[in-house]
Amino acid sequence: MRGVRRRSHRALRVGIVCPYSFDAPGGVQFHVRDLAEALQAAGHEVSVLAPSSDDINLPGVVTAAGRAVPVPYNGSVARLTFGPLTATRVRRWLEGGIGGHPFDIVHLHEPMVPSLSMLALWQATEPVVATFHTSQVRSRALQVAYPLVRQSLEKIAARIAVSEDARRTLVDHLGGDAVVIPNGVYTEVFSSSPRRPEWTGTPDAPTVAFLGRLDEPRKGLSLLVQAIPTILAGIPGARFLVAGRGDGIAAETRELLGEQASSVEFLGGVTDAEKAELLASADLYVAPQTGGESFGIVLVEAMAAGAVVVASDLGAFQRVLDDGAAGALFRNGDPADLADTVLSLLADPARREAYRAHAAEWVQRFDWSGVTEQVLAVYDMTLAADSAIGGDVVGRIMGLFPRRVGGDA
Amino acid sequence: MTWSEIALIALGALAVGLLLAWRGASRLDRLHRKVAASRIALDAQLVRRASAAVEVAASGALDPASAILVADAAYTASDAGPVTSPAAALKMDGLGPERERAESGLTATLREAMGAPEAIRTLLAGPSGEVVSALAAAWYRATLARRFHNEAVAQARRVRRLWYVRLFHLAGRAPMPRTVELDDALPHALEPNGG
Repeated sequence: MRGVRRRSHRALRVGIVCPYSFDAPGGVQFHVRDLAEALQAAGHEVSVLAPSSDDINLPGVVTAAGRAVPVPYNGSVARLTFGPLTATRVRRWLEGGIGGHPFDIVHLHEPMVPSLSMLALWQATEPVVATFHTSQVRSRALQVAYPLVRQSLEKIAARIAVSEDARRTLVDHLGGDAVVIPNGVYTEVFSSSPRRPEWTGTPDAPTVAFLGRLDEPRKGLSLLVQAIPTILAGIPGARFLVAGRGDGIAAETRELLGEQASSVEFLGGVTDAEKAELLASADLYVAPQTGGESFGIVLVEAMAAGAVVVASDLGAFQRVLDDGAAGALFRNGDPADLADTVLSLLADPARREAYRAHAAEWVQRFDWSGVTEQVLAVYDMTLAADSAIGGDVVGRIMGLFPRRVGGDA
Repeated sequence: MTWSEIALIALGALAVGLLLAWRGASRLDRLHRKVAASRIALDAQLVRRASAAVEVAASGALDPASAILVADAAYTASDAGPVTSPAAALKMDGLGPERERAESGLTATLREAMGAPEAIRTLLAGPSGEVVSALAAAWYRATLARRFHNEAVAQARRVRRLWYVRLFHLAGRAPMPRTVELDDALPHALEPNGG
């Protein structure tokens, strides 16, 4: 009964589809997990469909849609789920709804990735909201399949992009527009994190943190390493805490720095709790990324934890740092400017405090509570449009027949 | 080639043509519905925004001159176009220049009346914070609704340019859908987190 659907803040039944396996951690999976939790906290019912083998421990709301197979796709190896058996599982999940009641909204993530979301879009008859995460939508294979999926894409009532850059790629590659709703962060986790004495700086020995894969050049560790001698010349006691995995990079860096290597501590891979502690303890967090960032979630986490952010002036970082009001920016790829910025900040406690105060307020807009409000506004408008004209006649007649596997065709 | 073969080929071509026409027609029908439905939603949301604006004007949060101007702009906007019935929405011709001008006018007046970001923050923290945030919520939803509507219009227009849609006149007498163009930009400080 679509006609009686009311649009106020009643509890919704939301079906969320994640194309990537929960067996391996990743940005989209975290986003889906957090969104599901935030929606539940707001009083809505949620069911998540994700690829996963059955033996893994899944959060309660997740329905496993079968094992994800590593397949080469778009230049790298992705763990995806597809095939006729999966299509049937997706159909059953869509038909099952929550406790036998159909979903009010089906929210798909990355519908252009050939996995669960695409299959769900193909078969969904519910109002569909889609979120686009990556800045890489186009591939040659997709060009071939595009005529097949384009009709499905017309089913999407509302498109969300997680960043301005993701939106731009969407506009360029698929046409049409999207609403930007950023990734959420549970700022509370970071702002309430305890500190570790061994990572906490003193006026003579301030601590500077770096987080990210060490062997990924675009994360910019080498820039920081080039800036270290200058920083140490100004503040001999400064300590650098480098967290992240990367084979052999630690030894290489120590060799490069020679005597000064003792100022750098390599922490290796850190857990989520350790990451929060590190960001809460450090005086500065340095983000020297040279590119490939569409949002900069770690910057938000650092701001929430209370570390002052020093970041390269990438477009995404400028936006996250409120154009330099919530953290310091240096010229991308310029180690001398990085060193200057770090030195001047460490010498100026008042400026650090000003950044910290602005950042503490600014990060609230990235908190899941606010982000969830925005997502709910999108659901609201989708449902309003859906119920404005009752269900379509063809759909209702076709509804007399059981749904086949084969949505659009 | 015998005449029976020719007839067979003609029959085949006819079948393919009919299939294309049927599929094109149902796709177009779906898109037209989407356009009409999203337009109704947009219309209703703009009306909600206007009434939220009247409430802000009546709350005493604004100075008297601003309050009168906001209320006037809001009434102009809600008078400019009656709430669209499904039948009217099927005309799919945007909201009409008069309504679009009135809604843009309301936006401009509201932006001016609310003032600078600090002033808006004071408003939100003050006693009329609730009505102001209700206006912000209605306003944000209106921007969403317009985006979704224009998206639907763009898709429908794309399909209507297809050769077989034009050849078979699948759109019938339905007018070409038009996007709704108006200024609905939220002041920075009223944007929901992020934006």
